[in-house]
Amino acid sequence: MTDLALEVLRVEYAYRRDVALRGVSLQVNPGEVVAVTGPSGCGKSTLLHCAAGILRPQGGTVHLAGQDLAELPEAARTRLRRTKLGVVMQFGQLVPDLTLVDNVALPLLLEGHDRAESRRSALSWLERVGAAADAYGVPAELSGGQNQRAAVARALVTGPAIVFADEPTGSLDSQAGEQVLDLLLNSARHGGAALVIVTHDNLVAAYADREVRMRDGVIQHEVALS
Amino acid sequence: MATAELVLGLLHSGPAHGYDVKRGHDEWFPDSRPLAFGQVYTTLARLERDELVKVVDKGSEGGPERTVYGLTQKGRDHLATWLAEPIHPAMGAVDEMVRKVVATIRTGEDTTAFLARQRASHLRRIRELRTAAGDEEATSSKLVRDYIALHLDADLRWLDSALDQITEQKETRR
Repeated sequence: MTDLALEVLRVEYAYRRDVALRGVSLQVNPGEVVAVTGPSGCGKSTLLHCAAGILRPQGGTVHLAGQDLAELPEAARTRLRRTKLGVVMQFGQLVPDLTLVDNVALPLLLEGHDRAESRRSALSWLERVGAAADAYGVPAELSGGQNQRAAVARALVTGPAIVFADEPTGSLDSQAGEQVLDLLLNSARHGGAALVIVTHDNLVAAYADREVRMRDGVIQHEVALS
Repeated sequence: MATAELVLGLLHSGPAHGYDVKRGHDEWFPDSRPLAFGQVYTTLARLERDELVKVVDKGSEGGPERTVYGLTQKGRDHLATWLAEPIHPAMGAVDEMVRKVVATIRTGEDTTAFLARQRASHLRRIRELRTAAGDEEATSSKLVRDYIALHLDADLRWLDSALDQITEQKETRR
């Protein structure tokens, strides 16, 4: 297909009778940082969930790293998501019973990588995001900022083509939020991954190469910021 | 301040004399300081000198207050350029942004396109402010940059709300 990291074409989605997406198209180039903004309920998170293959759109197509999500059997889609896609949510995405290092190693272990090697990669990522000192703590013992650092490491450990971040700094105070955002941008750049950030925070959107603003399930405007 | 461009905007709907321009301004901006007569006449004189407006009628009784001014093509072009251009977001520059938004609405220019461009301009400036920091930076410089960035964030919320209200209005009219 194409060289795009993500291509969403005329995607439609409705929750029962509430139409969330009315034919939205979005293309993301490799390495590009795109901020998807808009008021609550505008469809930005639904778009992200459709693009990530978490929700199955009722119309249109989604190509992730060149592959049509709808054409892949379930197992292949899960695998594609695990290897080509990293996800950072607002909070609560780490497995509570696992240490940070095991949380970060998890995507590699699920891919069948060797345990020792997975842990080594996980530790080196935790070091890069400044959470190595807490590698053996579990999420409940650590601050929101440290958990988000680990979430960033987990999203990037497989070397994905694209990272989706849904309000990644939404649960953090401004200083921790700024640090996590910085980390996310630098890590994505370092790994050559494209980054799509869903946010209602203008101070976060300001860091993108492009802003896509949504309203009522459609794209209201797109502007280049870099 | 962009009084000259605003006067051009006020003449957009047709020729008027100084008093109408003043009244029009005070109607567009009921919560701002009223435009002084003296300022209206000096501005009109300057605009005439620059060929952005021309006298279209002197009135029967003569006297400057009866002089009717109209836009020239050069004046229309100047106004359109001003309304298309987002302001550079700096300290104290925001008043002009509000004026431009009001003027785009009143003159029938594309307000949503202006708002989108202004939004982008603000976001770029925020990034500049927040990535400019060096490790050795003085606290006072950082505080100034924080001040500007947070005020730009407030502007952005206003721009968003304006964008939403104008889009809603368009949808209702449809």
